[in-house]
Amino acid sequence: MVKDRGTFDFGFFLTVMILLSFGLVMVFSASSYSALNDYNDSYYVIKRQLIWALLGLFVMFFMAGFDYRKLAYLSVPFLLISIVLLVAVLIVGTEVNGARRWLGIGGLSFQPSEVAKLAVIIYFSNSLAKKKDKVKKFFTGFVPYLLILGVIALLVIKEPHLSGAVVIVLVGLMLLFAAGAKIFHFVLMAIPAVAGLVVAVMMEPYRMRRIVSFLNPWEYKMKEGWQIIQSLYAIGSGGLFGLGLGRSRQKLLYIPEAQNDFIFSILCEELGFVGAATVIILFIILIWRGIKIAINAGDTFGSLLATGIISLIAIQVLINIAVVTSSMPVTGMPLPFFSAGGSSLVFIMMGMGIVLNISRYSKGRG
Amino acid sequence: MAAPSITIKKRIFTLLIIFITAAIALIIRTGWWQIHEGERLQKEAIEQQTRDRIISSRRGTIYDRNGKPLAVSASVDTVSVIPNEIKKAGNAEEVAAKLSEVLGMSYEEVYNKITKNSAYEFIKRKIEKKEADIIRGYNFKGVYLEEDSKRYYPYGNFASHVIGATGTDNQGLFGIEAKYDKYLKGMPGRIVAAKDALGTDMPYPYERYINAEEGTNVVLTIDEVIQHFVEKHLETAVIENKVQQGGAAIVMDPKTGDILAMAVKPDFDLNNPFEIQDAQAREELEKLTGEEFKKRYEIELGKMWRNKAVVDSYEPGSTFKIFTSAMGLEENVVKVDDVFTCRGYATVANHNIKCWRSYNPHGTQTFVEGVQNSCNPVFIDVAFRLGSDKFYRYVDAFGFMDKTGIDFDGETAGLFHKKENFNELELATAAFGQGFTVTPLQMVCAVSAVANDGLLLKPRLVKQLTDVDGNVVQTFEPEIVRQVISKETAATLRNILESVVSEGTGGNAYIKGFRVAGKTGTSEKLPRGNGKYIASFIGFAPADDPKVVCLVILDEPMGESYYGGTIAAPVVGKILDDTLRYLEVEPKFTEKELETMDVIVPELRNMEVKEAQNALKELNLKNKVEGNGNTIIDQTPKPGAKLQGQSTVILYTEGADKVENVVVPDVLGKSVLDSNRIIINAGLNIRITGSGTAIKQEPAAGTVVPPGTVVNVEFRHMDVD
Repeated sequence: MVKDRGTFDFGFFLTVMILLSFGLVMVFSASSYSALNDYNDSYYVIKRQLIWALLGLFVMFFMAGFDYRKLAYLSVPFLLISIVLLVAVLIVGTEVNGARRWLGIGGLSFQPSEVAKLAVIIYFSNSLAKKKDKVKKFFTGFVPYLLILGVIALLVIKEPHLSGAVVIVLVGLMLLFAAGAKIFHFVLMAIPAVAGLVVAVMMEPYRMRRIVSFLNPWEYKMKEGWQIIQSLYAIGSGGLFGLGLGRSRQKLLYIPEAQNDFIFSILCEELGFVGAATVIILFIILIWRGIKIAINAGDTFGSLLATGIISLIAIQVLINIAVVTSSMPVTGMPLPFFSAGGSSLVFIMMGMGIVLNISRYSKGRG
Repeated sequence: MAAPSITIKKRIFTLLIIFITAAIALIIRTGWWQIHEGERLQKEAIEQQTRDRIISSRRGTIYDRNGKPLAVSASVDTVSVIPNEIKKAGNAEEVAAKLSEVLGMSYEEVYNKITKNSAYEFIKRKIEKKEADIIRGYNFKGVYLEEDSKRYYPYGNFASHVIGATGTDNQGLFGIEAKYDKYLKGMPGRIVAAKDALGTDMPYPYERYINAEEGTNVVLTIDEVIQHFVEKHLETAVIENKVQQGGAAIVMDPKTGDILAMAVKPDFDLNNPFEIQDAQAREELEKLTGEEFKKRYEIELGKMWRNKAVVDSYEPGSTFKIFTSAMGLEENVVKVDDVFTCRGYATVANHNIKCWRSYNPHGTQTFVEGVQNSCNPVFIDVAFRLGSDKFYRYVDAFGFMDKTGIDFDGETAGLFHKKENFNELELATAAFGQGFTVTPLQMVCAVSAVANDGLLLKPRLVKQLTDVDGNVVQTFEPEIVRQVISKETAATLRNILESVVSEGTGGNAYIKGFRVAGKTGTSEKLPRGNGKYIASFIGFAPADDPKVVCLVILDEPMGESYYGGTIAAPVVGKILDDTLRYLEVEPKFTEKELETMDVIVPELRNMEVKEAQNALKELNLKNKVEGNGNTIIDQTPKPGAKLQGQSTVILYTEGADKVENVVVPDVLGKSVLDSNRIIINAGLNIRITGSGTAIKQEPAAGTVVPPGTVVNVEFRHMDVD
């Protein structure tokens, strides 16, 4: 039933390109002052980000032309390699701010957790597509996937990189859900998870405070709430139309590393609600086009694969914006396409390339 | 491979719905922060993002009524640093060394400040231009000089309680400086600059510069010259009479309500207003520390700064008889020649109220004599003829129930009886000024009404406001409060009060050439019987056309006398004498005065004897020639000395014998007549000031001097109220 390859979904491609360009503009705007302050070069960050973006574009076009179905053969080795990398990073990883998340190979460095995200998506999509209805079985269909997620999550937490682990687990669960796992099984799993959380909080009450500090950051202004207040100052200063591109004041070191996790706040400040809503709507379009590709995919593997990749983007976008708008507890989460961060952009673009490739085998065409 | 199942498609679609719902929720959340909470957040954000530098405005000058500057501001600089910029420049050691050298501070202190983990640090405030220029020359990064101003008071202690002082931020603390602060201070300008989180200035588009607006100048009604007279005489009186609680004096122009002088002694240096002047208080303060010190220091500071003339109230005593007289005459219940009898006391509601001279009752006297004698029973009688209602109404009409409304902070009103408690006994004592209090200012204003044909005016300290270029911004016109008594009553009363000085208890306020009117006052402080008194005298001159009203109060004199007529009246006399001459009021001498008028001894040496004798005759001086030559070779007193008329100048000619020097006799305690005789007989000349008993002589008794030398003798009436 191999169909002829068609052209890829142009709407999806266009959205990706707009987001990528938009992201680069914002990275430059947000980073120039702190780069000048730290490296005496306003272009320090953007130059590197541009190189990653070019590499990302190359990878995306390559993947768009690479038959995604061949990825199925690679799913197991890819997963094993990623687990090896996750172990390796704990031993030989570069330590930054007390965490070992980066692995350097030659001049390049990347986060094994980024590899793991794609590896889990590919492995789950392939495995679940083959399993079909057996996914409804608890011990043979549900538990094994949880075990894999558990092992990987534990390794990532060990770095420590809690938000990375959360993303991997969420993506994995979403794929299980998409593949047709029983809702009852999720509920069953939720009970010990909630119980564990309650125990953890009861053991160390400060955890509770950290968790709820987002509800009233002003109460914790000097400590936990500081970053979030700075973020809200930026967002609030933007108003409806913003202060104008490049005119953020909060990027003047009030928000540390404004080009990273809090770049959305700077965007809000400079471009206002209009700009912020535009970006969220762009992401909605991306997700909608992506899910459409998943639904119309030629086979279950492609369908789940696209779903996983889109979910990965969606989860990160939603958590990032929720954090900077003080809608959930603070956790370090980059905003796809926007946050400067080198290698992660390449992995995102790789995902985009895979989705584009899946769209070429869509049922809707040919 | 098979296409995905319907279940999978449904599930994927469910995920889409969840994602979109969450995304829309976040759009709303963002909008809520940006639009609903935007204004508040932006305000807070700007607060942390900007630095507001104040450009201080030049504080206005305070002038006396003739344009002499009494308080001026000079431009100085304040040194501050942004530690982060110094850190970046990496020359903290050099900066600290140079700054500490120029500013006379320790290296450690400066170093600690410039390396402190803060966004902004003051190093030193108000440094002189010279030091500032040196620092400017260094051109250090992160060191800033901001223009500031410093207040200078060219006359130091002069009129300190009126002018008031300023604090470190150039804000008025008390006095005119505080009352007119909003005019004087001008409008400080601002530089609003963006800064980053480390405190570094940003060359940013929303920087704003708001120019400072210069302060307005204040022109006082105070006359610097008259104020100096008042301060000089008051200070002398406070020292001579060992006044414990200080003295106050006010000079007012009765026709405009202008305060020409207002002095309180002891005073303090306006250039150093925080230093306690009272030696005893300072000593006690040195023993205290911490909270205790702070509390006590504040109290002492408040005491030192308090303008007694406006804030404190006192029992007016006999000076109040002026008003009892005014009421009686106005209401026609008493005439100038009505006859009264003083038995040394008056009986009111079964109480015997004593006259101040109960030991020697005044006996039969007219009303005018009663005023001259300050005889209490006379005024009790007059008050009863008036009745309490009318009396009360007049007390109110003269302004004793309200503040005068002068433009000065902290003014109080005296305390008079409540209407319902104002019974016979209260009326009787109020008639001679006891049982209630007034402020010095209220007293001056009320007497000014008598001097000003019955018209009560609002007193004022400020005449005009002018701008930097001297243009008048605002003029304060005299304000009439009310007509209290008729013009005729006022004129009659002025004549009576003049006789108090010329013939009665006010004799010590007498000055040659001017008709002084006034009234003495002595009141015992509460609780009675502890020997603490307030002596006062209020007078005005010339009596027929008053130019100035003057009140002097001495609070707790512990010298030889505590009577107002003895110790306060001469102070008023001296102030009036100096002031009227300064104001160029034409003196009018009586025959008797002309006879003993002061003359300046002319140069007679090398003159022919005849010629010299004629010259002296013209000047109303006698002469005595020693020797038998034709030409004068020496004279006593020497040219330029002051002599009163009818004194003798001794002229020496060739061949005069060596004249024996004489010993100055002791005249203290003697009357004017006796003193005059004794000194003339000794071959000396006398110069008399005051009348009554001699209390001071110069040169002192026993001094050996050439014959003809002038002996200055000061006389006082000692036996007065």
